[in-house]
Amino acid sequence: MASASLRSLTFGQKLLILAVLAFTIGPFAPLIIQSLAFRWAWPDLLPSVWWLEQRQISPFPLAWDYVLSPTSKVLEATVNTIGIGVAVSLLCLLICLPAARVLARANFRGKKRLEFFLSLPLLVPEAAIGIALLMIFTGLGLSGTYVGVIIVHLIPTVPYMVRMLTAVYQGLDQGFEDNARVLGANDWQVLTRVTLPMLMPGVLAGALFTFLVSTNLFLLTFFIGQGSIVTLPTLLFSQISGGAMGATAAGIALVASLPGLILLVLSDRLIREEAFALGIGE
Amino acid sequence: MKNLKKIGWSAVLLTALLGTTTAHAMDDAEFRSQFLSGSMDWSEVTKRAQDEGTVNFYYWGGSDIINLWIDQVAKPALAEEGVTLNPVRITATKDTVDVILAQLASGKGEGEGSVDMLWVNGENFFTLKQQGALWGSFADKLPNSVNFEWDNADPRAQLNLSDFGTATDRMEMPWSGEQYVCAVDRAHVSQEETPATFEDLKAYLEQNPGKFAYVKPPHYLGNTFVQSVLYAHNPEGTGAEPFQLSLEELGADKLAALIEPGFAYLKEIEPLLLGGPQGNPRYPEGPSELDNLFLNSEVHFNCKFGLYGVYAGLITGTYPETAEEMIFPAGNMIKNKSYLAIPLNSPNSAAALVAINYFSSVASQAAMMKQAGMPAGLDTWKLAEADQAIINEAAPPHYGVTQAEFDANIAPDTNASLVDVIEGTWLEVIERGSDKPIKDVVAEVVANLK
Repeated sequence: MASASLRSLTFGQKLLILAVLAFTIGPFAPLIIQSLAFRWAWPDLLPSVWWLEQRQISPFPLAWDYVLSPTSKVLEATVNTIGIGVAVSLLCLLICLPAARVLARANFRGKKRLEFFLSLPLLVPEAAIGIALLMIFTGLGLSGTYVGVIIVHLIPTVPYMVRMLTAVYQGLDQGFEDNARVLGANDWQVLTRVTLPMLMPGVLAGALFTFLVSTNLFLLTFFIGQGSIVTLPTLLFSQISGGAMGATAAGIALVASLPGLILLVLSDRLIREEAFALGIGE
Repeated sequence: MKNLKKIGWSAVLLTALLGTTTAHAMDDAEFRSQFLSGSMDWSEVTKRAQDEGTVNFYYWGGSDIINLWIDQVAKPALAEEGVTLNPVRITATKDTVDVILAQLASGKGEGEGSVDMLWVNGENFFTLKQQGALWGSFADKLPNSVNFEWDNADPRAQLNLSDFGTATDRMEMPWSGEQYVCAVDRAHVSQEETPATFEDLKAYLEQNPGKFAYVKPPHYLGNTFVQSVLYAHNPEGTGAEPFQLSLEELGADKLAALIEPGFAYLKEIEPLLLGGPQGNPRYPEGPSELDNLFLNSEVHFNCKFGLYGVYAGLITGTYPETAEEMIFPAGNMIKNKSYLAIPLNSPNSAAALVAINYFSSVASQAAMMKQAGMPAGLDTWKLAEADQAIINEAAPPHYGVTQAEFDANIAPDTNASLVDVIEGTWLEVIERGSDKPIKDVVAEVVANLK
């Protein structure tokens, strides 16, 4: 099936697919090579000395040996990044679901203005928010704590999530909920058996997006975490600042892209299954 | 009546509670004043350090070999003394200085901060000291302070007593003594072609245009290069000497006269620097970018603080295999020290004292040289012969230059108050290409600083 449809594509379409692949997978190739290199100088197409050749004589753990050693703090950073990302996604959902319901269904004065205000945090530069919040959070004893970092991650994620969920809610016919009620379901049952399952693809997409934004935030994490909360972006930044990327930095960059990659694959599956189960697919 | 009784009981409870916490250990301010007065026994400090348990050490974490040394050697050694070392790796020390100042500004005073000790020197130390954000004059009260020269009468003590011209007042402990060293790529530059003076360098660049770059000021590595140029072109021939004075002592006019020939040289070589022949001279932003240019043969020299820089570059693969050290600029290779300091609001100050004392020991300094490629900060002439041997043995190898040659060509750092002016002048004259007389530029920069 797949090969037949591939053959039916025109030359131009094939070229386009190739370009997309080159842009999405392309950047990973030099990263992978760099992470396996010991000395890689211009204009050599490949490293002149590889990590594995140097590994035996090196007085200290090189490249992946360093990335996988406890000194690199990669494990701690990965656990922190995923933990914070999950907490931020859940909290964000908790805040945005009721808000989106109201924005989608209710009509009140100043609604348009409120929607505008909700996206304001996206317009203010992170650095400006970060420095001001650092002073406030320090006073509250929240700087350098996980709670502080999670709260600050909500700032750039809530506006996106509200918009996304509002659109999803607007697409959900209130008739389904009314039907359930007529058939005797209580509010809790309506929410868990009807509303949430029907919203699931949108909720998943929103949560995924929030998670990805949270796992990539550097500046806010750095300001509020004060360097004592290590995440993959802060770790990566301390490795590549100065404009050069060595083997360990390349290795950490690859690890840093893993959570997002795994989640994308997982959610793609989940959303598709969910859609099939509801009979919307095909 | 009943209510009164209740209040009475809670008051008793409260005082009992408060009593137990204060009886448990003296408070931070008391500990600080007693220790700084010199009336405290070291065993009391170590006991308190064990009660505190942890020390949060903030330091620049951009070097794998330094990180490994801290984790594999320093951490276990301090664990034996009952203190857990928590290394917090940062990108720029200035960020940590900002955090400390923000904490103090929002009322987090003595014992209420989050940073116990930090690796610092120059401008950052100056800022902390000026803002009264340092713990106090502790350095000469540590047991291992015997490894350092504190006697003002000995000129060699200056590196311990003065940090970029700011008196350390023993508020920071010397950790590592660095020297500004240039590496040369022997694949391109023969022994005869190797420049020893700035005139030699210019002659080399006329033959090989574009093959040199220095880090862009205000990065301290760029400032240091500019300073060595100014020393060498001092019209009075007194080298680094007048640059030890503060701006107030020296005066702006005098400074302008001293730096004029040096800036003329910097302007002359600009078209010969990296990108210069194409009409677009390029200054790397930091040492890793310069390392990369050097590795890729885009430049033939790499100047930075790194007495063992070539060794570190070779074992990490960041330098070309043909890299060697060179003596340049002869007689004007700036040497300075970096230090360990304790901020005023350190929550574990006793543990910080114990950790700094450990980092000042012969064993720790020897391991630091050997594993992290950082030069020792202690003064070898203060050591017993056996300890001197340990330090000499731990030293990483040199490539093409001997330690004695390095020692014979040192120059001191520039006073911190002048560094700001020189930096501002560089930005105006070189970056913006101003043609105003140096005297006017310096006067403007000085006026803007105030």
